[in-house]
Amino acid sequence: MSLLTIEGLLRRFGGVAAVDDVSFELREGEILGLIGPNGSGKTTVLNMLSGFLPPHAGKVLMRGEDITGLPPDRLAQRGVLRMFQMTRVFARMSAFDNLLAAGMARGLSEAESGKRAQALVEELTLEPVQYLDAGQLSGGQRKLLEFGMCFIEPPLVAMLDEPFAAVHPVMREVMAQFIRSRHAQGFTFLLVSHDMPIIVDLCQRAVCMNAGRVIAAGDIHSVLKNHDVIEAYLGESQQGEGEPPSLEVHR
Amino acid sequence: MKPTANLWQHRLRFDMRAALVICGLIALVPLFVTGPYALGIILVSVYFAILALAWNLLAGYTGQFSLAPAAFAMIGGYTTALLDFYWKVPLALGIPAAVVVAALFGLFLGKLVLNLSGPYLSLTTLAFAEIARVVIGNSHEFTRGDQGMHVATLMQSRVGYYYVFLAALVAVLVFLYWLLKGRLGRFMMAVRDDPVGAESRGIDVVRTKMIAFCVSCAICGLAGSLYGTFSQLVSPELGLLQQTGLVLSMVVIGGTSSLSGAILGAILVYLGSEWLRGFGDIQIIVFALLVILFARYVPGGLWGLIAARLQGRKP
Repeated sequence: MSLLTIEGLLRRFGGVAAVDDVSFELREGEILGLIGPNGSGKTTVLNMLSGFLPPHAGKVLMRGEDITGLPPDRLAQRGVLRMFQMTRVFARMSAFDNLLAAGMARGLSEAESGKRAQALVEELTLEPVQYLDAGQLSGGQRKLLEFGMCFIEPPLVAMLDEPFAAVHPVMREVMAQFIRSRHAQGFTFLLVSHDMPIIVDLCQRAVCMNAGRVIAAGDIHSVLKNHDVIEAYLGESQQGEGEPPSLEVHR
Repeated sequence: MKPTANLWQHRLRFDMRAALVICGLIALVPLFVTGPYALGIILVSVYFAILALAWNLLAGYTGQFSLAPAAFAMIGGYTTALLDFYWKVPLALGIPAAVVVAALFGLFLGKLVLNLSGPYLSLTTLAFAEIARVVIGNSHEFTRGDQGMHVATLMQSRVGYYYVFLAALVAVLVFLYWLLKGRLGRFMMAVRDDPVGAESRGIDVVRTKMIAFCVSCAICGLAGSLYGTFSQLVSPELGLLQQTGLVLSMVVIGGTSSLSGAILGAILVYLGSEWLRGFGDIQIIVFALLVILFARYVPGGLWGLIAARLQGRKP
């Protein structure tokens, strides 16, 4: 069943259509990879889905209800949560207080937020730094903190923009494990990443964009073998003869 | 949840206790200082402490830099004065009316500017403050212009007034503590630290800023109204930009995002400004330099240094 249905999204910046007639669906309980080379429009799509940019045309439906153009706070209240490529934490509040604030923003009581925050700092291995101001945390720890802030109250969908970029491999595994465990519980993810091994590892389906348009969508393995996808990533001249090419990287 | 886990409430409680200790010390002053002039100076510094707390709520806790705290104090003062002068409204109603009117002006101005970001709030509040002052100064028939207006007084006793101002300071302090320790306080700090992040977590950023702005304006209105009844005169000078500069330097020097820092800064800066009076009109130059130095080298202000020493951590 479709959780989010994206129909014909269009967003222009000046005369350039950064996102042009983009349509796809995000099914309940899946991890959908949104991939594509730099500048293909992935983050712009995420900005429109999370309410930070109004689309110039097109619709976003959540379980059939039109949520196009709702502001980010209203979408977050409805369970549409987003993580940013450049982390957005509250730098002068402690890591634990960040989690409390996120829980209270979703309507939880302080006591309930505290209980959940305690469990999350343990799960995300943030215990040693929970009383430090979030501004003092490393980039990876901030990303983990953002995971916690998204999940302190279960979201309907978590949209993750390059969560693994520039993160230490140990923390990457903590993040990947967090996503796996939440996916096993039935949570839905939209994952934007350039990290193909992790996309292959986590996602069942993928949508590939190039120059603002969707060029392939479907099963992850078939998308990564798609001629247009390979061309978008590697360029035509890079494709050799013999074995059918694929962007899939075996770990 | 462990008792120390809620670090913000732990810090706030410590800050509040220190602020109450400072208020306790201020309460003892009339035992040692009996001269009306000296007592008047400390009384006015308490007036500025109330303004500093109001501005700190907006700038220190919510990250919104208004340049109109003095203008809202002037609006509060004139509300009480006009109600008294034209309609003989008793001060028991005139003072609360000043709070309400200042908050309503804040609501009106906030509606116009609070969905903007960056320097627009500062620029708009600066323009508003100057327009309000010039309009009041030029409305001779209604406000008596630069001559100012006479206001009734609550009492003749200077010591009595001293404690009225102190009671108002403690009331504002307790109210801000209550506000900050709850949901709204956390949302304000989230908005200060990262408005985009706050919005993405489900916080209504404009509403949070609006509440902070209106509360700040209301507190300024209260301070201005009380000051008018104390001096028995309100004039456009109450809203001078120089007064706002003084409030700003009090908070930066005392310590932003701190209740005790704002009070400490207000007392020290105002006493310092009175002391500097003997050297000519150099107060603003000195405090502007101090603001630059504190902002650069001691961002936590004096209270940040003291709190770090008391808690045995690095400032």
